[in-house]
Amino acid sequence: MAKQKLILIGNGMAGIRCLEEILKLNPDRFDITVIGSEPHPNYNRILLSTVLQGRTSLADITLNSREWYNQHHIKLFLGEMVLKIDTDNQILLTDKLRVVSYDQLILATGSTPFMLPIPGVDKEGVISFRTIEDCQIMIETAKKYKKAVVIGGGLLGLEAARGLLNLSMDVKVVHLFSCLMERQLDQTAAKMLQTELERQGMLFLLEKETAEILGDGRVEGLRFKDGTEIEANLIIMAAGVRPNVQLAKDSGIETKRGILVNDFLETSIPNIYAVGECVEHRGIVYGLVKPLYEQGRVLAKRICGIASKGYEGSVLSTQLKISGVEVFSAGRFEETPDSKAIKIYDEIAGVYKKMVFKDDKIIGAVMFGDTSERGKLLEMILKQQDLQDIEKVAIFPTSIVESHTITSLANSELICNCNGVTKGAIIEAVQKKGLSSVEQVKICTKASGSCGGCKPMIEELLSYINSYDFSEVIEKTSFCSCTSLSEDEVVQKIQQLGLTSLSKVMDVLHWNTKQGCTKCRPALSYYLAMINPEYENIQETLFLNDRMNATLQQDGTYLVIPQMYGGMTKSEQLRKIADVSDKYGIVDIAITSEQRIHLMGIKEGDLAGVWADLNMPMSSTYGNKVQTIKTCIGEHICRCDKQSSLHLSASLEKRLEFLTTPYRVKMGVSSCLHDGASCTTKDIGVIGMERGWEIYVGGSSGRKVRGGELLCIAASDKEAFEMVTGFVQYYRETANYLERTWEWIERLTLVHIREVLFDFELLRQLLDRLEEELSLRKRFYEKSELSTFKGL
Amino acid sequence: MTEMFLKYFRTKQQKVESEKTYDTQCPFCSMQCKMQLIEQSIVTRRTYKTIGKDNPTSEGRLCIKGIHAHQHSFHRERLKYPLLKVNGEFVRISWEEALDKIKENFTRIQTEDGQNALAVYGSASLTNEEAYLLGKFARSALKTKYIDYNGRLCMSAAASAANQTFGMDRGFTNSLSEIPYTNCIILAGTNIAECQPTIMPYFEKAKENGAYIIAIDPRETATTKLADLHLQLKPGTDAALANGLLKIIIEENYINKLFIQERVNGFEEVKEYVSSLTLEEIEDITGVPIAQIRKAAIKFGKEETGMIFTARGVEQQTDGSIAVRNLLNILLSTGKIGKAHCGYGAITGQGNGQGAREHGQKADQLPGYRAIENEEHRAYIASVWGIDEAELPGKGVSAYEMIEKIHEVEITGLFIMCSNPVVSHPNAQSVINALKKLKFFVAADLFLSETAKLADLILPSSSYLEDEGTMTNVEGRVTLREASYPCPGEVKHDWQIICEMARVLGKEKAFSFTSAEEIFQELRVASRGGKADYFGITYERLRKEGGIIWPCPDMGHSGTKRLFEASFSHPDGKAVMVIAPNKSVVAKDQTSEEFPLLLTTGRVMSHYLTGVQTRKSAALAARNVESYLEIHPTTALKYQIPDHTLVKIESKQGCIVVRSKWSETIRKDTVFVPFHWGDSQNVNLLVSKKLDPDCRMPGFKVTAVRISSLMEQFIQ
Repeated sequence: MAKQKLILIGNGMAGIRCLEEILKLNPDRFDITVIGSEPHPNYNRILLSTVLQGRTSLADITLNSREWYNQHHIKLFLGEMVLKIDTDNQILLTDKLRVVSYDQLILATGSTPFMLPIPGVDKEGVISFRTIEDCQIMIETAKKYKKAVVIGGGLLGLEAARGLLNLSMDVKVVHLFSCLMERQLDQTAAKMLQTELERQGMLFLLEKETAEILGDGRVEGLRFKDGTEIEANLIIMAAGVRPNVQLAKDSGIETKRGILVNDFLETSIPNIYAVGECVEHRGIVYGLVKPLYEQGRVLAKRICGIASKGYEGSVLSTQLKISGVEVFSAGRFEETPDSKAIKIYDEIAGVYKKMVFKDDKIIGAVMFGDTSERGKLLEMILKQQDLQDIEKVAIFPTSIVESHTITSLANSELICNCNGVTKGAIIEAVQKKGLSSVEQVKICTKASGSCGGCKPMIEELLSYINSYDFSEVIEKTSFCSCTSLSEDEVVQKIQQLGLTSLSKVMDVLHWNTKQGCTKCRPALSYYLAMINPEYENIQETLFLNDRMNATLQQDGTYLVIPQMYGGMTKSEQLRKIADVSDKYGIVDIAITSEQRIHLMGIKEGDLAGVWADLNMPMSSTYGNKVQTIKTCIGEHICRCDKQSSLHLSASLEKRLEFLTTPYRVKMGVSSCLHDGASCTTKDIGVIGMERGWEIYVGGSSGRKVRGGELLCIAASDKEAFEMVTGFVQYYRETANYLERTWEWIERLTLVHIREVLFDFELLRQLLDRLEEELSLRKRFYEKSELSTFKGL
Repeated sequence: MTEMFLKYFRTKQQKVESEKTYDTQCPFCSMQCKMQLIEQSIVTRRTYKTIGKDNPTSEGRLCIKGIHAHQHSFHRERLKYPLLKVNGEFVRISWEEALDKIKENFTRIQTEDGQNALAVYGSASLTNEEAYLLGKFARSALKTKYIDYNGRLCMSAAASAANQTFGMDRGFTNSLSEIPYTNCIILAGTNIAECQPTIMPYFEKAKENGAYIIAIDPRETATTKLADLHLQLKPGTDAALANGLLKIIIEENYINKLFIQERVNGFEEVKEYVSSLTLEEIEDITGVPIAQIRKAAIKFGKEETGMIFTARGVEQQTDGSIAVRNLLNILLSTGKIGKAHCGYGAITGQGNGQGAREHGQKADQLPGYRAIENEEHRAYIASVWGIDEAELPGKGVSAYEMIEKIHEVEITGLFIMCSNPVVSHPNAQSVINALKKLKFFVAADLFLSETAKLADLILPSSSYLEDEGTMTNVEGRVTLREASYPCPGEVKHDWQIICEMARVLGKEKAFSFTSAEEIFQELRVASRGGKADYFGITYERLRKEGGIIWPCPDMGHSGTKRLFEASFSHPDGKAVMVIAPNKSVVAKDQTSEEFPLLLTTGRVMSHYLTGVQTRKSAALAARNVESYLEIHPTTALKYQIPDHTLVKIESKQGCIVVRSKWSETIRKDTVFVPFHWGDSQNVNLLVSKKLDPDCRMPGFKVTAVRISSLMEQFIQ
C-alpha cells in the first residue's frame, strides 16, 4: 500500500512533538512533509529566555536537528509560507509557488505576538519576544544601547526583562494592571514577585497604558495615556499572543479566537487537524507547552487510527524561569465565595503558599519562594484529590523538614523497594527507551512490578522527567577526549581483544591522539594491571618486592618505611632501624599519623644497602592502595581492651598491603564504641561492639567530610576480616579508576553490595580471586628476590 | 537473584549448561504467591531465579521475600542431620538413634510425670496435612491434652471474634476479587504494604475505582499512605475508636434497620452503651480528633458498600478479640456483610495461618474446625482415627500458658515443630528459662534457631521447595504447594518425622502414610461435616482449578466465595453484637514517669516472623541488617538520642539494645521496633505476659518503655 501523505504546516514544538508521537506509534505509515516559516529546525521556544539570560546557547535549545528530519525521511521546507489550502482537492500552495497534495493535514501555525496598535509601533527597536531572531536583536542592541522597556508584566515579559538585565541593560517593565502575572498569581504572590525582581534591578511602571512610541526612525521613548513619558532605546512587546488563524480562515475552516477543534483535534473540515497554540478547544486557547504536548499525543493517536479518550482540556500550571525566583501556579487560584483556601505566608523566609479547595477537593495552588512540592501538588490537582485536614498541612513542609520529593532524591535512592530499582535506573530506562507510562517502566525495569506501592512515585518521576525542570542527564559519557568509547566499553574491549599495552589500546581502539591524555593514561595503566596482573604499572614508587621498595621524593631522594602491622613494633626492630639510620646518615626520621616510622632522604645509591641491612618487610602505601590502618592504641578516652582490634587490623594490613585499588582506601579499626580511630569517616571503619564488629563503609575525612554507612555487624573476627577483604575486592573489581568508595557505593547501592557480600558463594568467589592475586604476587616477589637489584 | 557486576571477568562467563524449573509457593505470608524456581547450572556452579506464576490470589505477583526465598533454602547452615546435644555441644547422630532417644525419653517422661507431661507445639507455617497430623499425633499417639501452636500469637483474636460474632471463622468472609469494587475500606492495624505486598493492587484498584480508604494505625506506613484518611491513634485504643465510629454511625442514622432486625442480636445493648459515651472522652483516649472520627464514620456509614480489614495491630492486644468484635459491630449495624462487595477480612500473617487453625493444632480444637469439648465432634473424630472417644484428651492451654505449665513442672517434655517461641513469645526471657528446665526437648527445624539451640535433640526438616502439601491462604483458598526439589542430607519432611515418631512409639498403623496426598485424603474425611469442610477438595481438583475456597462439602461443589449471604453460623442464624468497653478488662501498659513511652511492634517488608529464614537470605538481610527503633526526632532529642545510634530500651520485663531511626511520621508518644531479630535485639524480651481473656492472645502491641542512649551510659 502506498504511504499516505501527511503534511504539517508549522515547524514548532507542538507540531513536531505530534510527529514524534506518530513516528513512535507507526513509523512507516506516512510520507511526511513539514513546512515552516522560520528558517530554523524545531527549537525549544520556551528556553529562549534562558538563551537571553546567558544560561544556554542557541545550539542547546535545538530540539530536532536536520539529521532528525533526514533520519525519518521527513521533507522539510523552511522559510516557506502556505498561502492557501484547497480543501476540496486536498492540495495547498506555498509562497514559493509550490503545490503539494495531502491525505492528512495538520495545522500547527502557532501564534504571533500581539503588537499594540499604537502610533510608532513600526519604529526600529520595537520588537516582540518570540523567535531566535528577536533574541539576536536584543543581544546586538544591548551592545550599543542601555535603556530597555518591556511592555507586559506577564510570564514572557518578565523573562525577557530578566534576560535584558543579564545583558546589562536598564530595564523598565510597563504593565496595564496593578499586579504582575495577574493571570497566574494572586495579589500576595504578585507583590512578593515584584519585590524580588526589583531587588534584582527591574523597575516597574504599573497601571500604565502606552499611548505612543516616540522617536525618529529609531525608538527614543514612549508616552503613556496619562501624559508621562520615559526614554527607551529598545521596546519589547510582550502583551500577549494571537493564534495564527488567517490561513485556516481563508481556507474555510471554522475559527473563533483560534482554529476550532473537537476533542480529537479535528477541525471543521475532514482530514484537517490542528494542534498547538493556534487551536481553540472548548473555548480555551492554550499557550503553555504541557497542554500542547497533551494535544499532540491525542492527535497522533487519532491520525494513526488508535482509539483514545480524546483531549479533555488541561489544568494550567506555570512556572517562571528566572533564576533566584521560585514561582508556581496551577489550576484555579482565585478565591471565590464557594472555595476555601489554606495559606502560609512566611515573610521572613520569603515563602508564600496557597492551596484552594472546593468541596474538599483541591482545585488550585500558588506558591512563591519554595516550589519544591509543585509536582506533588499538580498531581493532586489533576486527580482532584480529596484531602484530610492533616494532609493539607503536610503538603506544606516547614523548611526544617527534609523534603522527600522526587526531585530531591539522589539517583541512587530506591524507588521500588521490592525489586531494588533506583531513581537513576528508571531515568536511564526512560531516556534510553523513551518510556512514557508506569506500565512501560514496570516492564522495562520491574519497578512497581510487585506490590505496586511505588506507582505514585514513578508517576511523579515520569512527570518530572517530562517537565522542563528536568536536567538530570544520565547518558553515556566518553572515557576522555581521546575516544568516543565509554570507560566501561574500553575496559570491556581490552579484555575481549586481549590488549596488553597502552600503545595497543590506543592503536586498536583508534585513539584520536598518539599519546593519550593525562586522564586516560593513568586509568588505562590501572585497568591493564587489573586485567593482567603481570602488567608492570609505572608508578612513582620503586617496588621490587615486599622487602625492597621505596618512594621517590620530590628532591630525588627516597623514602623507606619499615612495616609495623597494626602500628606495633619491637625493640629489636627499632634497634635495627637506629643502626641503619646511623650507618647511612639518615637524619630525617618521622613518626607519622600512619603509625609508621618514615626514613627519609635516602640516596638512590644507598637503597640496596639500606634494604639489605634492614632486612625486614617494608610498607608501601603511596598511590592508590589500601593505606595503613588507623588503630586506636594509646588513646586516653577509655580503657577498653585493645588487643582484638590490633589483631584484626594487623591481619587486614597483611592481607591487603600493596594491593592496587581504584582510589586510596583509608581504613580504621576501633576496639570500642568510643571509636578512637574515627572509623565513621573512613572508607572502611570497623568498630568493636558488644554484638560484634560494626563495619562502616563509604566515609570520608577529606575536605568534604562524609559519615560512613553501616554495612553490617560481623559476629566474629573471621567474619569481619572476610567482609572487609571481600568489600575491598569487590570495590577493586567493579569501581572505575579514581572512583571513591562512597561514589561507588552510591552507584551500586549499599543494598546490592550487601547482597553480594552476604551471599556465601559470591563472597567465596571474591575471596578466592583475591587469594589468587596474592599468590601470583608472591611468586613475583620470589622472582625479583632472585634477580637481585643490580641496577642500583 | 543477586548477580555480581562484572568488570574484569567477562571472558570467564560461561554458557548455561542446563536449566530446571520447580513449581512452588512462597513460604512466607498468607498470600501464598505461586512461583517457579529456575535453577541454572553453569559448570559446577548453580544460579537461581524465582519468577511469579499466575494464580487467582496473587495474580503472578511476587514481593522481595518470595523472589529471594530460595536463598535460605540453599543456605549452608541448613540442618542436614539429626543433632543430639552432648555436654552442651550438638553432635551428628543417625535417625534411628534420634528416634530411639525420643522413644526412650517420651516414654520415661509420661511414666514419671503423667500422660500430659509431654507437650506439642506446632506452627502456622506447616501444611494442612502436617498441622492435621501433628494434632492427631498429640491426641492419639501421645494422648496428651497439651498441644497448641504459634498461630495463637497471630490469628487467635480475629478467630475468636469471628466465631463469637458470626459463629464461624474464615479470615475473609469474601474473596479478594471483591475488594476493587467496594466503596469504602477501613484498614485497622494492618500494614499490608509491607506484610502482604502482593495484596496491595486489590486496594489500589479499589482506590482507582473511587473507593475511600481509611487507615487506623499509630504509625504512618506505606499502607497508610494509600489511605484517604489516616486515623493515627494511640497504640491499643482501637476498641474506643470503634466505639466513637459506632456512636456517630448510630446517632447520624447510617444504620441498616432492616438488616439489624432480621439478622443481628445485641444491637440495642451496644447502642445504649455507645450513647452513654462522649466523643470528647474518645478523642481523649485515642488521641484522634473528633472531626476525623466523624469524617470516617460518615464516609463509611454513607456508602452503599464497605469492607473492614484487621490485622495484628488491633488483634495483638489484651482486648484484641473484643476490639475486633467492635469493628464487626460497625459492619453489622450498617448491614455491610453477606452481600456483594461488603464484608470482613482478618489479614492473616502466617503462610498457613488459615489452614493451620482448622485441623486440630489448637488446644481446644479438632479437625474441620470442630470443638474438642463437643461430644458429637469428639465421637466423629475418634471414629475417623479408629480410637475410643474416651481416649481423646480434653482441652489444653494456649501457647503462652504451656510455657507457664513448664515453669510449674506440669509439662516436662516438649516437641516443637517449625516454631521459634524464644523470639516470638512475650516475656521472652521466661521462655528461655522454661525451655532450659525441661527434662527432654525436641525441636524440628530448618536451622539452628534461637529455640532449637536450647533443644536436647534437633530433627532436620524440609523447606518449601522440598515439602509438598496444601496451604490455605488469606482468603480461605486451599492451594496445593507443589514441591519436588530433593531434600538435602538426611532431611525429612515434617509429616515423615511425625510418622517416624509414631512408629517408634508403636502407633505406626494410624501413621503409615507415604505421601502428603494420602494424609490429605484422611483430612478430607476428618473435616467432613465440620465448619471448615474440605471433603470436596482433592489434589487433582486443586491442580486443575488453581485453588478452592472452603467450605467445599462435595466433589461437585465449587467452593464458597462469599459467606453469610443467607444466614450467619450461630444456631439461630443471627450474628451477635457485643459491647466493647473503651478500656481493656486486662489493663494495658500505661505510660508512667518511669516508663514514659509506648512501644509497639511489627514487621518490615524484607523479613518474616522471627527471621530464622529471612535473616539467612543474603538479599533480604541486605535490606535490613538489624533491628531498629523508630522514634520521632522531638522525642529523640528529649532523650538525647541522635539518629543511627544505639539505644537501650527497657520495660518492666527486660532490656534490649537497637539502633535509632528518626522518623517524622510516628506519634511523639510512641516508638516502634520490628520483631524479626533475636538475642539482644529481641523486642519480645520487653513485652509483658498479659493475655487477652477471650483468646489468650498476648498484648504484643503496647508496652510501656523507657529509652536511653547507650553512648551516654558508657561515657558516664
